[in-house]
Amino acid sequence: MINHETELRLQAYLDGELSPGEAKAVEDFSNSDADARSLFEELKLTKSLLAENELEVRLPESRGFYWSKIQRQIEREEKGQASEQAETAATSWWLRFLAPAAALVALAVLVVVALRAPKGAEALVALDDSHEIETPLEETSSFSFQSEAAGMTVVWVDSHRE
Amino acid sequence: MKKIFPFGGISLATVVLFFACSCLLRSGSTDLALQAQLVWGTNNDKPDDPKLKEVDAKVTERLRTALKWKNYFEVNRQNFTVHAGTPKKVKMSDHCEIEVDNFGNSSIEVKLYGKGKMVVKKTQKIKPGELLIFAGDDKNDTAWFVVLSQTEK
Repeated sequence: MINHETELRLQAYLDGELSPGEAKAVEDFSNSDADARSLFEELKLTKSLLAENELEVRLPESRGFYWSKIQRQIEREEKGQASEQAETAATSWWLRFLAPAAALVALAVLVVVALRAPKGAEALVALDDSHEIETPLEETSSFSFQSEAAGMTVVWVDSHRE
Repeated sequence: MKKIFPFGGISLATVVLFFACSCLLRSGSTDLALQAQLVWGTNNDKPDDPKLKEVDAKVTERLRTALKWKNYFEVNRQNFTVHAGTPKKVKMSDHCEIEVDNFGNSSIEVKLYGKGKMVVKKTQKIKPGELLIFAGDDKNDTAWFVVLSQTEK
C-alpha cells in the first residue's frame, strides 16, 4: 500500500516535474513495488488517453484575426459605456443647474404677481389702467371721462332728478 | 446618488430670503396716503358761509379746464391712509361718505355713499398728482364734487 505522498511523487515523475535524482529514486521505487508500478501504469495510461482524445477546437479564422476581433469588441463596449456615462453626466448637469434656475424663475413670477395683486385674483383684473364702474341703484346712472390735460378722471353721477 | 437640487441648504435659504424680501416690499409699499375734498362748484360768487374755503388755485384751474363751473369752494377735507386689504370709510358730510379700498400698486376701489346707499363704485389707479373726482349736479345749476388725490409726501 502506497501513501498519498508517494502517489503525488509518481504523478510528478510522470509529468516530468522532478529533478534527475528524484526521478531516478521514484523510478527505482516503482520498479520494486508492485502497487507503485500499477499506479504508475494507470496514471500513464490516463495521461495518454487525455492527451490523445482531448477535443481540438479549430478557429474559423486565423489566430491573429480572432484575437483582434475580441479586442475590437472590448474597445466598442468600453466606448459605449463611456458615452453612456457622458450622457448621464450631461443630463445630470441640466437637472442640477436648470432645475433650480427654473424654480427661481417661477418664484420670481409668483412674487411679481403677488406684489401686483395683494388682494388676489379679484384685484388682478382691476389693475393697471382698467377702469371699472358700477352703479347699483336703478334711479342713478353714471359715466366717467378722463382729461389727460388736467390729469383727472371724473365720474359723473346722474340721479335723474326733475 | 446625485441630488437634483444641489446645495440644498443654500437654495432653501435663498427662497426664504426671497419671500421675506417680497413680503417686506409689499408691506412697505402698499399703504396709500390720500386726500378727499368735498367741493361745491358754482358760477356765482362766494356766498357768505364761513365754512366754505376757496379751493387751491392749481386744483381750481384744473377743474376749470374740464368742467363748466367758474368757482369751486371746499366744504370739507379729509386726509387718511388706506392699508392694503383694509377698506377705509370716510365721512365727507351728513349725507355723503366714501369707502376706499387699497388694492396695491396705486390701484384703488372707491365706493360713494349717498344717504347710506351706495351710489357708485369705481376701480382704477390713482397716480401722484392725478385727481379722481366723483361729481353730480345740485340745485340752481351748481354741482358737488368729491376730489380724491394722493397726499404729497
